[in-house]
Amino acid sequence: MSGDSLADDLTRRTQNAPPELLSRTFFFVCAALSIATTIGLIVLLTTEAAKFFTFSAPLVGVEGETATVVEFLTGTEWQPTSGRFGVLALVTATLMVMIGSSIIALPLGVGTAIYLSEYASPRVRSILKPGLEILAGIPTVVYGFFAIIYITPMLQPFVPGLGTFNMLSACIVVGIMIIPMVASISEDAMSAVPEELRQAGYGMGATKFEVSTDIVVPSALSGIFSSFILALSRAIGETMAVTIAAGSTAQFLNPFNPATYTERALPMTAAMIKLIGGDVTGGGLAYRSVFAIGITLFVITLAMNVISDYVAQRYREEY
Amino acid sequence: MATNNEIEGFGRVSRTAGTLFRYLLLAATLFGLVFVTILLVYVANDAIRPLTADPGWHLTFFLTLVIPTLAAGAYANRRDIAALRTGVFTIGFVVVALMFSGGAAMIFVDIVEPLTWLAFLLALAVPTAVTMAVVSYDHRVSFVAQFVVTVAAFYLSLFGVPGPLGSLAGVSTMVPSLFGFVAGLPFAPAPWLMMAMTFGPPVAYVGSRYVAGDRDRRTHVLVGAGVLAVVLAGGALAPFAGVDPVPGVVVAAVGIAPPLVYAAGTAVNRPTERVGLLVPATVVVGSLVGAVAVDVVGFAGPQSWVDWAFLTSSHSSTAAEAGFYPAIGGSILLMLTVAVLAFPVGIGAAVYLEEYAPNNRFTRIIDVNISNLAGVPSVVYGLLGLGLFVTYLNQPPGTVLLGGATLGLLILPIVIISAREAIRAVPEETRAASYGMGATKWQTVKNVVLPRSFSGILTGTILALGRAIGETAPLIMIGAPNVKYSLPAGLSEAASAMPLQVYAWSSLYAGDDFYQKAVPAGVVVLVAILLAMNSIAIVLRNKYQSTE
Amino acid sequence: MSDNTSEFSADAGDGETADPTADDMVIETDVASATSSSETTTTPDPIIRSRDLDVFYGEEQALDSIDIDIPENRVTAIIGPSGCGKSTFLRCINRMNDRIEACRVEGELSLRGKNVYDPDVDPVALRRRVGMVFQEPNPFPKSIYDNVAYGLEIQDVEGDHDEIVEQSLKRAALWDEVSHQLDSSGLELSGGQQQRLCIARAIAPDPEVLLMDEPASALDPVATSQVEDLIEELAEDYTVVIVTHNMQQAARISDKTAVFLTGGELVEFGDTDQIFENPEHDRVEDYITGKFG
Repeated sequence: MSGDSLADDLTRRTQNAPPELLSRTFFFVCAALSIATTIGLIVLLTTEAAKFFTFSAPLVGVEGETATVVEFLTGTEWQPTSGRFGVLALVTATLMVMIGSSIIALPLGVGTAIYLSEYASPRVRSILKPGLEILAGIPTVVYGFFAIIYITPMLQPFVPGLGTFNMLSACIVVGIMIIPMVASISEDAMSAVPEELRQAGYGMGATKFEVSTDIVVPSALSGIFSSFILALSRAIGETMAVTIAAGSTAQFLNPFNPATYTERALPMTAAMIKLIGGDVTGGGLAYRSVFAIGITLFVITLAMNVISDYVAQRYREEY
Repeated sequence: MATNNEIEGFGRVSRTAGTLFRYLLLAATLFGLVFVTILLVYVANDAIRPLTADPGWHLTFFLTLVIPTLAAGAYANRRDIAALRTGVFTIGFVVVALMFSGGAAMIFVDIVEPLTWLAFLLALAVPTAVTMAVVSYDHRVSFVAQFVVTVAAFYLSLFGVPGPLGSLAGVSTMVPSLFGFVAGLPFAPAPWLMMAMTFGPPVAYVGSRYVAGDRDRRTHVLVGAGVLAVVLAGGALAPFAGVDPVPGVVVAAVGIAPPLVYAAGTAVNRPTERVGLLVPATVVVGSLVGAVAVDVVGFAGPQSWVDWAFLTSSHSSTAAEAGFYPAIGGSILLMLTVAVLAFPVGIGAAVYLEEYAPNNRFTRIIDVNISNLAGVPSVVYGLLGLGLFVTYLNQPPGTVLLGGATLGLLILPIVIISAREAIRAVPEETRAASYGMGATKWQTVKNVVLPRSFSGILTGTILALGRAIGETAPLIMIGAPNVKYSLPAGLSEAASAMPLQVYAWSSLYAGDDFYQKAVPAGVVVLVAILLAMNSIAIVLRNKYQSTE
Repeated sequence: MSDNTSEFSADAGDGETADPTADDMVIETDVASATSSSETTTTPDPIIRSRDLDVFYGEEQALDSIDIDIPENRVTAIIGPSGCGKSTFLRCINRMNDRIEACRVEGELSLRGKNVYDPDVDPVALRRRVGMVFQEPNPFPKSIYDNVAYGLEIQDVEGDHDEIVEQSLKRAALWDEVSHQLDSSGLELSGGQQQRLCIARAIAPDPEVLLMDEPASALDPVATSQVEDLIEELAEDYTVVIVTHNMQQAARISDKTAVFLTGGELVEFGDTDQIFENPEHDRVEDYITGKFG
């Protein structure tokens, strides 16, 4: 063990050896790819949507000009074949999906979360949690089929005026679809509430009911809210179930009037599927309007994700 | 005075509200599950139609299958609950393995020629052997030299000299690649023998490792020979069952041998659970006996829409004749493409973020960006695929490659997030042990982090893959065809997919005919495959969570 | 094992003609004759030496100006109450603290005269010469053989790996128990066996210094005494630095003892007998007699 060579030995730069460089570069490129995806998405959506708004030449099958941004965002009529591009007709339908599904998913999801986090024994949890995962794993196209074949006929005797295609069954299946999301994120938040807080509650002579509702739920509130927002953003982006169940007629409906839920409507995602049916190779008006809806959808869901993140971070109780 | 200081009892606090609340919560938890279960029972009933069978058929199977199975299960349960669990798991294993062997068989029947497959494997195996020899021959060979030799060996073996690089420059092939050479051989063994050659040895090797463990060499050889015999028998006996020998070999190797190996392993290594094997044995024997019995007596089975014809024929405009074959094949190819494209990148990104990333602004941006990408609706990913690949890169719409790339981008954030969780679960002490030995980052990742988090990563990726093959909207956006009459011959051909076919049937062919026959049948197949994948993932997770 | 040692030093000996650098001049002159002086028992030469070593975790100071000379081929114990920085000091020697982002090291800590915190020192190369055994036994989820051979693989050590693995396991007094099951997982061993496996793993690539961070604290009394015997034997060939909060253990196995007390300062350092029988500082005496800590 001669000390002379030690300085040389210790200063050998292992992290610049070829295998190190190669692997580090590969891993970095993989991670950077996610940034590239986002940039690609944003650039693509904006350029294509911009073309939609600036297109003024007559197009195949369409007379006259297309929409301006103002017309697009404030118009209430959606009839691409006659050049009417009022996105509000689609947005209200999407809003209906959001409201209808949240009426089902939010209470059931939070109830599930409280049950799993506070009441269920480990054994019951080990059965129910995979069950919920399987619920979340069923393809949305299957849910759409359930809505139209089973749920609508089941509801028709009870709900007068319910057509084959309607928003009601679409909302029900979307609601069921997003229960697992609300439940799992809320449950994570509730499980993060420290055991000492619960012990404090029990030590004061509180019942399990009181501990759950007065201590656990308030402490986990930010997580629960963030789960709501994420689930709603998922409901907005939900495509196949609403495409199959809600029909394909765009109507400007009042989402706050329960009676309108028996009508058919065309949410944004369904409109994209319907438009793309005939024109995919690019350039046509349908192609462009799809991107215009797409960017609207992207901006809304992105905003909701950011808000959900912000809520979870900002209002998180520090334990 | 004294009595004032003593209390009679503590009284009672009312629990009525609490009890009510508890049951309300339970109801909320069960609502979705029960609701969907009922719908699944409905759709299964519409698709399989058990009530169309002769009552005698039900009675026969009740006597030969249900009662003996229940009895065997009860017996196993009384002996040892773990034995019953093993038995039930074996049944599930058989079902899942058979299902996947069917998918694998499709690939070799319609997409990949056995000779091409053999040539491809050889063309991969030879350079791999060269690489291993170079790496282990002498540690002093510099990494750059090893790298060059490796790349050259693979290039030569797969492409020949000068290969695609040469054809770019207009030089014709001088030395054929190993792949081309083998694939072009005028003589070759029978296709099923080639399949047995490629599938048999690996399965036999893994099987003998699993069953014989650290027993002596004789046991290893015996088990391996047994597995090989099963695979060969699959090919040799298939013609008697009216099946081609090639799918026979694949089904034997992928669907039959693994459960047999598992059962043998249980019998040899876990004597207390041996009795549990009675359950799957009863199921297999009972089904065979029942099938023979109803055939002899002449009881008619149910007129299920999910039958052999549905699984092996293509779309038709009449619902009763419509089949699912091209859709299943398309989904399998899409799945493979997604796995190849998304998994390395997703796991690589996860490794970067967990092991390499410095705590700086750029890392935080990537972090936030990934969680936001996970929230982008799938239909928007479809737009990305359409705009990027079809419009800007001029790819033909709806191909397997395009669909795989789009779905790959879609599940990338999910793969990254779940792989990160698995990597984070590797205990810090294990890492410290490796760094403490003077390991570099890459050595630690390769030798410690990835092996330790492997099953966790696998669970996440299987779940993500399930998500990918259930997606419809992105495929519609990139112009995948609603109706396809044959399997795609390659990655650059348009392909249908299971959910897409179901959508086409329930929208383009909307009507009671399709609603009652083809769509339920398609839904049952699709859901069965997804349930199988999810259950694999969940079993895997329970397994590694209990061993940690 | 002595074969390995010569082989290893031959491998590393290609720098024989290098000029003595400025760092070498810092060392006391008798370091040059380190190999011969290790035979004389009275005052072995320091192999590790720190001057004014400060360590901070963020704003908090964990070590306060540590000066110490750790002799070669001896067992040096570091004792002190929890939170006194004894583990932090140990992890400075092989720069494991680099893995903690908020950790900042100032001052000098040299191995054979080379300051390991010089900007040109690669911590990975350093750790190849300074092995470490941790508090919890932490074998890799690999076979027993692969665990011991891990260091040989990653460091590209030449020679017959089978032979080195066998020798290391024998030195770690584990060979007789595991020789028939080298292929089974290291995690299947008992806690004491796992810790001896970790010691075998650490000595296989033949490091110069062996750091041990409370290596017996997670073990039962029988396993503890086995590990202690092992440490005493290892001191014949290795410089062992061991952190422990068990004072009897320090007294039993170490030649030198350093006492760290709260605030991250080194209060006393000297021959173990002297520290335990006749400490200079009252605080050390209080600590050793159990008045606090």
